[in-house]
Amino acid sequence: MAAAAPSTRAARDPSHGRRLIGAWILLSVILTPIVVWLAGKVIPPGNKTHQASEQVFDNQWIVAVSTPVALLMIAFFLYTLIVFRARDGELRDGPPIRGDARIQITWIVITSAAVLTLAVFGTYELLQNGAGGGQGPDPVAVPSGSKLPVQVIGQQWEFTYRYPTYGGLETPHLVLPADRQIELHVTSLDAIHSFWAYELGVKADANPGVDNVAYVKLKSPTTFHIHCAELCGLWHGYMFDTGKVVSQSDFAAWIKQQQAQFQPVSQYLPRYARSYYPDPQRRAG
Amino acid sequence: MSSFAEHSTDYAVVESEPPEQLGRNLNTAGHLLASATAFFFLAFVFAYFYLRALNNAGLWRPRHVNPSLTLGTLAIVAVVASAVLIRLGLMDHRAGRRRQWRLKGWLALGLAGVAVALQIAEWATQGFGPADGGYASVYLGWTGLYAVFLLAVIYWIETLLATATRYRKIESGAPPAGHASGDSHRTGHDIHDPLSLVRPSLEALSFYWAFLAGIGVLTWFILYIL
Amino acid sequence: MSANAAVPTPPRRRVVGYNLLTGLVLGVVGYYVGWWIGHHIHATSIGYFADTNQNDIAVFLGYFLSVVGFLAGLGFLSYPWARVRGYPPSLREKETAGVARYFGLCTDHKVVGIQYLIGIGVFFFIGGLNAMLIRFELLRPGGQAFPAGNYLTLVGLHGTMMMGIMSSAILGPFANYVVPLMIGARRMAFPRIEALTFWLLMAAGTLLATTIFFGGFPTGWTGYEPLNDQANSGMDSYIVFFGLVGISMLLLGLNMIATIVTMRAPGLTWSRLPIFCWGVISTASLMLLASPVLIAALLMATLDRTAQTSFFIPSAGGSTYLYQNLFWVFGHPEVYILALPGFAVVLELLPVFARKPLWGYRLAVAGMLGVTLLSWLVWQHHLFVSGINGDLRPFYMLSTELISIPTGFTFLCGMMTLWRGRIRYTVPMLFCLAWFFNFLIGGLSGVFLSDVPSDVTTHGSFFSMAHFHYTIMGGLVFTFFAAIYYWIPKMTGFQLNDRLGKIHFWTMFIAFNSTFAPLFAIGFMGQPRRVVTYPSHLQFLNDWVSVSAFVLGASMLVFLANFVWSLVFARVPAPRNPWGSRSLEWQLPSPVPVHNFDKIPVFTDDPYGYGDDDGRVPAVVPVGAPAGGGS
Repeated sequence: MAAAAPSTRAARDPSHGRRLIGAWILLSVILTPIVVWLAGKVIPPGNKTHQASEQVFDNQWIVAVSTPVALLMIAFFLYTLIVFRARDGELRDGPPIRGDARIQITWIVITSAAVLTLAVFGTYELLQNGAGGGQGPDPVAVPSGSKLPVQVIGQQWEFTYRYPTYGGLETPHLVLPADRQIELHVTSLDAIHSFWAYELGVKADANPGVDNVAYVKLKSPTTFHIHCAELCGLWHGYMFDTGKVVSQSDFAAWIKQQQAQFQPVSQYLPRYARSYYPDPQRRAG
Repeated sequence: MSSFAEHSTDYAVVESEPPEQLGRNLNTAGHLLASATAFFFLAFVFAYFYLRALNNAGLWRPRHVNPSLTLGTLAIVAVVASAVLIRLGLMDHRAGRRRQWRLKGWLALGLAGVAVALQIAEWATQGFGPADGGYASVYLGWTGLYAVFLLAVIYWIETLLATATRYRKIESGAPPAGHASGDSHRTGHDIHDPLSLVRPSLEALSFYWAFLAGIGVLTWFILYIL
Repeated sequence: MSANAAVPTPPRRRVVGYNLLTGLVLGVVGYYVGWWIGHHIHATSIGYFADTNQNDIAVFLGYFLSVVGFLAGLGFLSYPWARVRGYPPSLREKETAGVARYFGLCTDHKVVGIQYLIGIGVFFFIGGLNAMLIRFELLRPGGQAFPAGNYLTLVGLHGTMMMGIMSSAILGPFANYVVPLMIGARRMAFPRIEALTFWLLMAAGTLLATTIFFGGFPTGWTGYEPLNDQANSGMDSYIVFFGLVGISMLLLGLNMIATIVTMRAPGLTWSRLPIFCWGVISTASLMLLASPVLIAALLMATLDRTAQTSFFIPSAGGSTYLYQNLFWVFGHPEVYILALPGFAVVLELLPVFARKPLWGYRLAVAGMLGVTLLSWLVWQHHLFVSGINGDLRPFYMLSTELISIPTGFTFLCGMMTLWRGRIRYTVPMLFCLAWFFNFLIGGLSGVFLSDVPSDVTTHGSFFSMAHFHYTIMGGLVFTFFAAIYYWIPKMTGFQLNDRLGKIHFWTMFIAFNSTFAPLFAIGFMGQPRRVVTYPSHLQFLNDWVSVSAFVLGASMLVFLANFVWSLVFARVPAPRNPWGSRSLEWQLPSPVPVHNFDKIPVFTDDPYGYGDDDGRVPAVVPVGAPAGGGS
């Protein structure tokens, strides 16, 4: 090392590392809280249900961990690419450094810690009350308290909804009562669909023959958007609708009105079941 | 692009490959192929247990879906016997008993053919079809694709026997290779002795065939016994 | 003398030779033969539709015999036929025949590499054109240019073409070309299989394009059941395509591993192996083991569509989850088949342009092998909201997030290689540096998708689409171009134009980010994937993305212009080692002679000895040394 050229010695100036780390820590301390706060404001799915709020909170955690990572990269590359660029006409090699056990171990420890933090926190959030995701027929994260069961039936290319507690009423639009815990049972009659109620923070695949359960705890009356989020054939792009969350009394009135309206049809529906096996979907020709 | 053609190879200058190279390659490839085969049939093992556990619509295995245990067992016995014969043939080959190896090889080839024939007989005589539920699907897909693997092994055995038989009169290690096709750009420089092809390929085949027979036994156990 | 008698006389010259033209003619003939036979198969369970236009048996048989005819026309059947008759094969075919060998079966690994580059380039272009059409449709919220079915076919063709063909984007052209040179071998372990993998891929891509004659397919690249089973016979093209790609990948992987394991020159120990070869081994092992699962799943789908089995029909004893499981058991290793070669190229090129040894060689290897291993344990993160195994989701969340640890090794090794280096901003280096930026964003957005509560919103939305374009296009395609700019001088003997290369890089890099970064927002704002319509308040962002995508497409034309101009018209001869690399392939003449090495070299060092005083190359050719073997 003593034999190295003067410019090489300058390149080995240990203050490079300290400078970079210092800048990174400073940037992280200043910017991370700002980014996390901003994320809480703008990250979907918003604040309209408990599950949606939890998702936003979870996203803030992810942002909190990943912002310093991103800042480290940005700081590193800005510094390195400017400071260690080859000057004009300089075609000599850099110093033959082949590794450093301390840096490796530090890196492994820090990345592992970050990853485990995220995984533990994500699991905790998930097991709270399912985070609005489809959990299959035997849900593991079941919120306590009474729940209103609503069945979501996907078919090509619309969702219909059955209310087993109201005589298996089936309606083409989704209306839910405010301030209630809803138990969604998602199933399909044909291809795989995915029931995505965007503002509610709910997404659950609709598989034929499968009862996919998701929970959502509603807040005040509002409207929300429904999309199919799994490619289900020709008119997949048109499989969307708007749902409503209404007050308890409006909901009771709506149910009565629907029961009356669909009475002629309802009597021919199959009995309410967790899933419906249609005839095998074979092509006719 | 014409500059490419200027670099023709002067084989008087270029040294030849070490003779054990082919054996190493084939040996490695045999093991890699076995692992790929294992993953292929793992998909069917998974399908079997998955559909069996789900028993969707109660149609995993209707009562009449019952393939013949006798024919299935005989087919697998033929497979195992063929693999054992190839292994014994390999030992003959190692010991220089070329005639005995060819005899065992032809027997093994015949037994593998018998296994395929028995499998076809089983499909032809069973009392159910592919549309009869989960088990019928897995059974027909699995046995059918296993039979395809058997046909591939039959091809492999046949090529070795054909080479061994064609050059049965000549001593190992002497003659130059010739042109097998009319392509004037083919060169036989890498193979000085056609018989030198047999041994490494036989070593790889012996391993792979034993492995495939093992998968066959697993197939038999899962499909007929469980 | 008796020995000479045993040698068969060469048969007469054929009137029609084995080449691409013969292959195409026999391919078409084979298709119609299969079609005809297919219409004469009758059985109780299939009689229902045997004589309609939806006769999948006829389509499958047509495709199968088409591929057989194509391969026969290329000359692939002469080898098995000679072997069946007991004649010894040649290990090499058409290795000295001039331009014609690029249009047929050639066993020279360098020819196959160039064939791969051009062939993959053609299909990459077609896949990219589909993307342009998709973005054209999405200029307006309502349907405007294409009917819904055609739009889905475009989406499916784009996804399937890119996933299938680009799986071999690095291993096909570059590993085939440079791995034997890097390890001091004269050929791949199985040259004929090497050629077969290429021609299978070309047959696959062509057959996929024929789906438009059968009405296309509606499933996207995942081919989910039971939509797959419902779809009309355009679906068969998808199945045949992915099946052939699977076989091609399997054989490519097998050949790569066998070559690196058995054909290394003396002295090339595992700890001296170029890091690119480690990346190739990781990728190849995933190809070898994941492809069989895909092939099996597709064969089950084929049986469902033809023989009326019910693997994936829940109402007849099957399960849609079975397909999802099998597909993603393949599918997740597949995305690392796409990503790992990018790691390999970046780590191989950084030392050359930073003029420093690869930092933390063992950690880099561990990173790649760790990713390889972990990629088997994460597949159900594609199914977080599908209702499958709800209680296993914490495990898959953990395993998915664990992958960022070995990926972080790659980042650390790359970054510390740059640190204190003397970075030269050549075109390949710019693409490698862009990889860090793109993969960082791809990786961080992946954290959102791996975390179940966050995934509930992002799953199946444009967010996940943006994520995997950042990892695959940003991770693979950028390094694909890095590899092109880096190795083309060696492969062709001509330099690519530096100025056009830089214009290409900057337009591509800026347009790429301008295309895909807004997609994160679009996804977060609630636009699902693969839709032909979207809410009108998202139009501004979608238009922004579409225009950026057109610029991105135009940047590819800059590359094409550069490629054609430099190699066909300008033809500036490349020096032997324009980058000053220490890797073995750069010590050979450009282009490389057919036999690569007169004598097999003996390795004394790894190829990363930058900064060592003596400037020696990693391998020496001993004068008069005996024939070399592996170490």
